[in-house]
Amino acid sequence: MSLFFESDNLTLGYGNQLVIKNLDISLNFSKNYEITGRNGSGKTTLIMCISNNFIGNTFNSNIHRKNTTLMEISSSPSLVPELSLLENFKYFLFNDNINDSMIFNVLDKYGLGSFKTDLVGDFSSGMIKRSEIAIADLKNPKVLCIDEPKVYLDENGVDLLLNLITKREKEGNTSILSSQESIGAFKSIERTINLND
Amino acid sequence: MIKKYIIKKELNMEFRNNTSLFLITPTMCVLIIVFPILSENRFRVENDIFLIVELLLLIIFTTLFSIRNPLKEQKLIKELNFGSIKKVDYFYSKTFSELIIFYPQIIILLILFSGFTNTSLNSSLLHICLSILFFCLNATMINLFFQIFTTFSNRFVQFTLIVPIYIGFAILIAPLWLGVNQEISNIYLLMFLGITMVIYSFTNFYLRK
Repeated sequence: MSLFFESDNLTLGYGNQLVIKNLDISLNFSKNYEITGRNGSGKTTLIMCISNNFIGNTFNSNIHRKNTTLMEISSSPSLVPELSLLENFKYFLFNDNINDSMIFNVLDKYGLGSFKTDLVGDFSSGMIKRSEIAIADLKNPKVLCIDEPKVYLDENGVDLLLNLITKREKEGNTSILSSQESIGAFKSIERTINLND
Repeated sequence: MIKKYIIKKELNMEFRNNTSLFLITPTMCVLIIVFPILSENRFRVENDIFLIVELLLLIIFTTLFSIRNPLKEQKLIKELNFGSIKKVDYFYSKTFSELIIFYPQIIILLILFSGFTNTSLNSSLLHICLSILFFCLNATMINLFFQIFTTFSNRFVQFTLIVPIYIGFAILIAPLWLGVNQEISNIYLLMFLGITMVIYSFTNFYLRK
């Protein structure tokens, strides 16, 4: 089985404050994972570390990661607020071979077609999250990490997200979800990392 | 290495934020207009003070430009990872886009200063343009290096560290603007080119590592 992230005794924190202590973790391609835990248990820190977005103290933890396409959708937006939605799509997808018609199809699928020329800075948190999910759908990374997947999304948004997760599962891509409790999005889960333990 | 979408994004952001164009440049223009009247009570300054003040204005403008819109490390890393953008691509594209914004503004500023003080530089236009180009390139790379690869997120710390480096670059420009002879000008330009290459190589090494 092919690992894309592995660490023994993973310890993470900010300054001298420990958030995660001595966690053994190994994540494989084509498997799904869930991270659960109460507030402050380190879910966001862990998902940021997995997605290579963590800026903090790793306390010399031994972290091995494989070079792969990896995206993280978190509660703080990754989109550029000064650009329009369409400009954001083109900016974040310029490395991928995606043409305008594919972008327009996805925009319509996610109900964002009429907002494509609006500045992302004027969007609500829900709209931003929906846009990020749409970009993830187009980009189709090998590993997709979503922190608090249901937060900010309306019923339709949650359905779109669950459809995307199901589609990714069928295609054999990895999804990692982090929330306070399991949201039951996966048909099969390799491991649920409970940070309350 | 230089990606047009990153440049387009940076130019769009600059155009929409308008920090440098609508805030810094007018402030500098007012300084330029007011300076000769305040110092000599006329629209002319003596040749010996002209060069020093012009270099000072160049340093002030570059510093203001550098700290106008600090990059937030966490946000930048998230953005780059979200788009699978390599740091090296971002760095060079950002340097290029900053140069596109910065270089014409400096040229305009120097022309305005010469105009309002009724004084001119003594060296050739080519030497002036080349020296400013090297200055802009180095200043931009140093600024980005400080912002992206160090934890000096505080504007004051950035300011304190960056200004002495800019003064060093300005010292290299001074003889060129004073109008030394062709051979010495060429030596100084080559020195500036060498420094640019060293900074470029160091950044490249750091990025690849």
